[in-house]
Parts: sequence; C-alpha cells; structure tokens
Amino acid sequence: MTDDISVGSDNKGDCRVTFLPAAPPEVEVKTGSPELFRAGIEEVVTETLSLFDRATGKIVVEDQGALDYVIAARVETAVRAAYPDVSPITPGGARTPTPRDRLRRTRLYAPGNNPRLLVGIELHGADCVLLDLEDSVPPAEKFAARILVKHLLATIDFPEVWVRINPLTTYGMDDLAEVMRARPHGICLPKAESAADVTALAAELARIEAAYGYNPGTTWIMAIIETSNGVLHAAEIAAADPRVAVIAFGAEDYTRDIGARRTRDALLYPRSRIVAAAAAAEIQASDTVYANLEDEAGLIAETEHIRDLGFVGKGVINPRQIGPIHRIFAPTAEEIAEAVKIVAAAKDAEERGIGAIAIGGKMIDKPVLVRAQRTLQLAERIKEELG
Amino acid sequence: MKNALDRDIPEQIGDRTLRPFQGAFGTTPTGRKAARPQKTVKLGETKVLKSIEAAIEATGLESGMTISFHHSFRNGDYLVNTVVDACARMGINDLRLFPTALFPVHAPLIEHIKSGVVARIEGSMNGPVGAFVSQGGKLKAPAVLRSHGGRWRAVEAGDVHINVAFVAAPQADPYGNATGIKGRTPCGPIAFSAVDAQYADKTVVVTNDLQPYPVYPFEIQQGWTDYVVVVDEIGDPGSIASGTLKITRSPTRLKIARLAAAAVKASGYLKDGFSFQGGAGGISLATTKFVGEEMEKAGIVGSFAMGGGTRLLVDILHRGLVHVLLDGQAFDLDAIASLRDDETHVLIDPGHYANYDSRGCSTYMLDAAFLGATEVDLDFNVNVNTHSDGQLLHGIGGHQEVAAGAKLTLITVPTLRGRLPVIVDRVTTVTTPGEVIDAIVTERGIAVNPRRQDLNDRFVRAGLPVRPLADIKAEADRLTRPPRKPVFGDEVIALIEWRDGTIIDTVRKVVGWK
Repeated sequence: MTDDISVGSDNKGDCRVTFLPAAPPEVEVKTGSPELFRAGIEEVVTETLSLFDRATGKIVVEDQGALDYVIAARVETAVRAAYPDVSPITPGGARTPTPRDRLRRTRLYAPGNNPRLLVGIELHGADCVLLDLEDSVPPAEKFAARILVKHLLATIDFPEVWVRINPLTTYGMDDLAEVMRARPHGICLPKAESAADVTALAAELARIEAAYGYNPGTTWIMAIIETSNGVLHAAEIAAADPRVAVIAFGAEDYTRDIGARRTRDALLYPRSRIVAAAAAAEIQASDTVYANLEDEAGLIAETEHIRDLGFVGKGVINPRQIGPIHRIFAPTAEEIAEAVKIVAAAKDAEERGIGAIAIGGKMIDKPVLVRAQRTLQLAERIKEELG
Repeated sequence: MKNALDRDIPEQIGDRTLRPFQGAFGTTPTGRKAARPQKTVKLGETKVLKSIEAAIEATGLESGMTISFHHSFRNGDYLVNTVVDACARMGINDLRLFPTALFPVHAPLIEHIKSGVVARIEGSMNGPVGAFVSQGGKLKAPAVLRSHGGRWRAVEAGDVHINVAFVAAPQADPYGNATGIKGRTPCGPIAFSAVDAQYADKTVVVTNDLQPYPVYPFEIQQGWTDYVVVVDEIGDPGSIASGTLKITRSPTRLKIARLAAAAVKASGYLKDGFSFQGGAGGISLATTKFVGEEMEKAGIVGSFAMGGGTRLLVDILHRGLVHVLLDGQAFDLDAIASLRDDETHVLIDPGHYANYDSRGCSTYMLDAAFLGATEVDLDFNVNVNTHSDGQLLHGIGGHQEVAAGAKLTLITVPTLRGRLPVIVDRVTTVTTPGEVIDAIVTERGIAVNPRRQDLNDRFVRAGLPVRPLADIKAEADRLTRPPRKPVFGDEVIALIEWRDGTIIDTVRKVVGWK
C-alpha cells in the first residue's frame, strides 16, 4: 500500500495537493471562491491524471490562487512521489533555439520552487530568465521544483530561458532528464571547474537531444565559474564545447572558497581572467549578481566597472535591477556616432583598396574597428528589442 | 429598459422612477435644490446634550427615518454602531442608513438588518455587510451605491432626504463647529458630512474632544448644527490607514506602475502646470511616486495634485513638485498633519471636487489620474463594485468623477489576481463607462481606448508596449481555465448610480453558475 502524499504549499500562488492512492477515485477542491474556480481546477487535475496510466485514488487540492501549470505540476509531483516508476509527463510546445551570441545583458534568477515569484517572470525585460534548481531550492524540494520548472517552461514563451541545474554529481542528471522534456534554451552548470565538467554535461545533453528528438547541439551551456579551480581553468571551460555560449562569474561562492572579502580588488583577478577566457573562446562573459537590492548606486557603479572590464552581461536577483544595467550596457549617442565614423572609414578604405584605415589622419587599428562594429550591432539590437 | 451601455435597468424600484445612464455627460439637471426646514437658534441657547440617546430624542428620530454618517474613521469608526445600537434599544426600527461608506467594523449591522432595525442602506459597503446584503432578500429595498460626488448631488437634489445627520468630529466646540484634522484622535477631513449637515432636518455633531469656541477650520459649521454630544471615543484613528498604503514590492505591480508613469510622460500632458490624482492603492501609490520622479527629472512644476492624501503626496508637495495639494480625505497621519499645518495643502469637500450638478469640479481640471479596478472589459468599462462572483465588494469612491474629469485616465491593473482574470469580455458590474477610460496599463502591455488614437500614436512613438486589449486578455487567459460566471436572477440587490443620478448598472442576486 502506498502512503498518502502531500506536496506543494499554502503560499499564495501555490496549492497543496494531497494524493491518497488507496482511496476511491475522487477530486476534491478547496479554494477561496469555489463557485468560480472549482470546476476549472478539477478539469486541470483530471487532465493531468489522465496522462498517467496508474493514478487511481483521491486527489485533494487546496488552492491559494495557483495557475493551471502550477496545479498540473503539483499533481504530477504527488502521483510520481506515490509511484516512482511512472513515466513523467512530457508537455507539448515547441521552442525556437536562440543564437549563440544573443544579447544577454541581464540574466534574471528565479527560484524554481516558488510559484508566486515565478508568475510573470518573463515580463520584466530581462534578456535571459534563469530558473534555478540549485542554491535557492532546498534538497527536499528538488523533486517538486524540477517538475514545476518543467511545466512553467512548457507554458510560457520566454525570449530566452535557462535552467540552472545542480552539479551532475548531485541532482543534476535528474534535473536534466526532467526539464529537457520542456526544452529550455540553455542549461547553466554551477561550479564548473574543468573542461571535463562541461563535456560531461554536453554529452548528456547530446544523448537527451537525440532521445527526445531535438536537433543536435541546440541546447546552450552557460558554465558558472565560482571556485578557485574554476577561475584557474576558465580558458579550458570556455573552450570545452561548442555548446558553451557564456561563462558566468559567481562571486559569493568564489570569495568564500578563497577566503577573500567581496571587494572590487579581490574580484579583479577572477573577473579579468574570465573575460580573457571568454574572449579567447569567442563567447560571452557575464558577471556575478549584485546582492544589495536597495543600493542602486552600488549596482550602477559595479556594472560600469564590469562593463569596462569587458563583461557583456550581469546576473540580477530582482527585476528592478534590469533597467539600470540595460542603460549602462547601451552605447551612448557619442559612442554610436564615433562607431559610425570608424565603420564608414573602413568601408571607404576597403572600396578604395587601401589597407590602412584613417580618420582625420589618425590610423585606426583592427581592434578599434571590431569594437566599433560591436557597438553598432549592440545599438541595432537594442533598437530592435524596443520594437 | 436598457441604458446607454446596454445594461438592463428596471423602470421603477419602490416609489423611485429610475433614469437610465445616458452617457458620461448625458444629462442636464432642472429645477431647484432641496433645502432643510427653517430654524433659528436664539441668543443664549445651548446645543450640548449628554448622550447619543438624548440626541436621538431631541432630534425626533423615529422609525422609518434616514440617518447619515461619514466614513473618515474607515475601519476604526465607532459611531455608526453606537447610534444604531441606541436606536435598537429605544425601539426605533425600519431605518434607512445613509453612510458614505461601511467597513468590516460595521459587521454588527447584520444583526440589526435581521431584526428590522435597519431596513435600507444607501452607501458603499466594504466587507461583511456587503457580502450579507449580496445574498438578497435582506433589505427592504435595493442598496444604492453612489460616488463621492453622486452622493453629494443626491442630497442637494433631494433624491435622498436625511432626517438626522450624525457627524463624528475629532474636535468640536459647544456651538457645533467641528473638524477632523485636530483633536485627540484626528481622522482627516470630515467635510464629506458637510452636505449632510446642511441638508438634514437635524444635525448632531458627536465629539470626543470638546474645545472652547471657536474650533476651526469650519468643516462643519455652527449654522448647520442642531446638537453637540460629547462621548469618550468616536473612533480608532489607527485604522484610517486601511492597509493600502505601502508602496508595493511586487515586481509585477511595480512594472505596471513604471509603465503607467512612462505613459504619463509620453502622453504630452507632463509639462509645467501638470495636475494629477494619486490614489491610495498599491499600484496607484507606486505610480504617483514614479510620476513624481519623472517631474523632478524633467524639472516640471505641476499646478496641483489631488488625494486622498498620503505621505507620498505630501512629500511631492513639500518637494515643490506641485504648488497645491487638494484633499477631501486623508489616508495617514502625515497627510492630516500637513492639512493642518500647510496652507498649500487644501481641504476640499466632494461638492467642490466631484459634484455633477454644480458649476464645476476640481476633477475637470485634472490632467492625469491612475485608478484601480476589480475588472475591466473589452469595451474599457470598469468595475470596482463587485467581485467576479457577483458579491458587493467596494464602494465607488471618487472613481467616476476622476475618470470623467481627467484628460488622461489610466486604469492600472494586473491581468491576473491569483487565478482570477481581471480583463473580461463583459464586466460583472459597470461602475465607470469605457468612454471616460483612456488606457488600461497591465504588466503585459498598455491597451489604449480606440477613442484615443492620438494617445495611441504618442505611446507608440515613445516605444511603449501598446497592444490590443483582447491580445493582453488572451495572453493571461492561457494561464487559467476560465472561472465560471454567476447567473443573475431578477432580484435587484443594488443600484449603481452614475454620478448624475442615472443608473449605470444594477447588481442582481446570483441564482446559479455557468
């Protein structure tokens, strides 16, 4: 006999689902406005149950304003907790892969176990949303969280969405098997310390892509470098696999690891090393989060600093940090004007078959031209993004 | 009969012939205003009575009469319950209550409705009384919900004749001058009662802080007041802040507020002399803050802002972002202090800012306003009165007059509350017609009323996320199965008046679900 199972929570936006496998089949819904919601919730529960071959029993839903995908996720969690060998749900829904060098000024972290904080997470204008199964999810909630994240992924059309899995040596393999059923654009690998860490993930992704019938090589990897070993091996991590699109810095774990305080000086070396590693592998470097939400001036100062170091993006823990960061990464009107001049001069030189590029008698080096081209690309993309 | 919004309106309720809503500015009043009986108080006469009971006796209050109250103590009010309890003890029943608004603290009225002491209610009902009345068959006649200005107008026009007005006064003198912004327990302006005090047969000022003559400002005046009663307490001022006054921390709501502020900026109205109304709801409060920041950034000095007064608006006044702050209500103690101490913070009454049958309203001078809603529909109609299950939920407040007056009326709402969609095909109840709503601002984009193509163009030029309301609705609807809808019977629970006294909608008894 299988024990009664209770999953979910009484938090706003969530629901508690209790599964009594031994009881006669029945759906019971408790909700604040039963006349309005009971029928709809019952429908979601019944449809979700119908996806399992073995799910007789009584389901009790105590609703706190959960959206349909949350209810479906909680029901799936309860059924699978009762019957661990039952097949997981593979929700429908296609996703178009994103370009490897997509604009990624901000990656917004959202805890994968809290429905209330996930509502509308795609609406805040972050270049990437990063659904977290690692640090923000306690071990007891990993199972429920990866199922919730899967249903969220299948429901929302994100501009770009990543899942931060746990290390492959802990819960990472289970995370992958679950969330890849709803196909995020990319997977963030925490605590990457070597090329082998990355290739292990890449191999598993290749296997899953083949098994689930996705085009091979279309799931990106963001390796998060947050240990001394990771920093020392940044170059090999960045170059480990063509799937690696971004290497990101995690300063909290890093400073703990090396016994440093989080000062600008202490972070200069790992940051510089990560930027160089990314540049050498022709991928993007993204900086750590700025944890003090209330300190916008501090956020701005740090973002200007890391932009100047060569990072192209930064992690954010609250939507309110997105605007300031995007403003800092936007080229100024002067920078755009200067870039236009340089690119025009280069075009002119090329048309006239002259090797050297010059503006007003001043020679323009190749890296300056490349930078100007990047500035214009960035300006163009920001314009596109604004519609 | 159908009104201009295609809502079914009965022709007659009791002895009242209903006039259907004819458009926001569709009616023109005729005739003369009502008036109270003549009376003189001669030299040396005194007005102070020992108790509420004594006042009830002195005023000649009898069964079947109408008594009125203001709501400035909000959920901290003691007076409504005290007076109705006293009436019950004295054998008076069949009363018509005419409060500006009732709150959860007034739940004891339910027993008085059951026992027949209270037979009718015309006023906003927030909380248990509204839920009770919504069940139907509880009152002798449908409740009547009026806006701030609509209530004032109804009294002046004689639609509602008040027999005895009870005015809770945080400070009063023995001659009947009274104010709400002073005293031991200030509750903010009590000038909502000014029309009651001038038109009622008898006016009773009830205070817990009697001070020597003269008490000012003269929100309630000696010439209007028949009696003064001193009691221990009239209300708990700690409850005037109704829990709506924290700036939201919800990223979704902050996003709506930022979009609304951006819309104000893009609208073309944000220039020197700008005026706006800032509400007290979470999103409105945040919008007010962000609009203030935009003004500061652009170096714009506005002409005036309107409350309900809050610390935030007071701060905007004191930072010099507007010349004048006009307030008919105060939602926190900072606003009360400022009303008392700062002559540029001006106390106004609904007759001044909101009355349709008048020679002008402050709201007509507004550039922008940010209002909430429980529901909005694809015709931009707004419901603030009922929940989607058909239950009476809130009063109208100044929603109608502000929306009708402001050049730019933004409804700031999330698309979902829990699993309840806020944008619907047809609102459960129309409070404010779509013709006076300019745009709906949600976390999924801004929908501009098709009547405002000019605004649409400006928003698009500014790069704002302008989308058809139906698209925004569809996006939110994908996240929840549609809730069932109430099926309404014939029994009318409440009449919703438009501010000119016409009927914009009715609330009917729920008889089933579909």
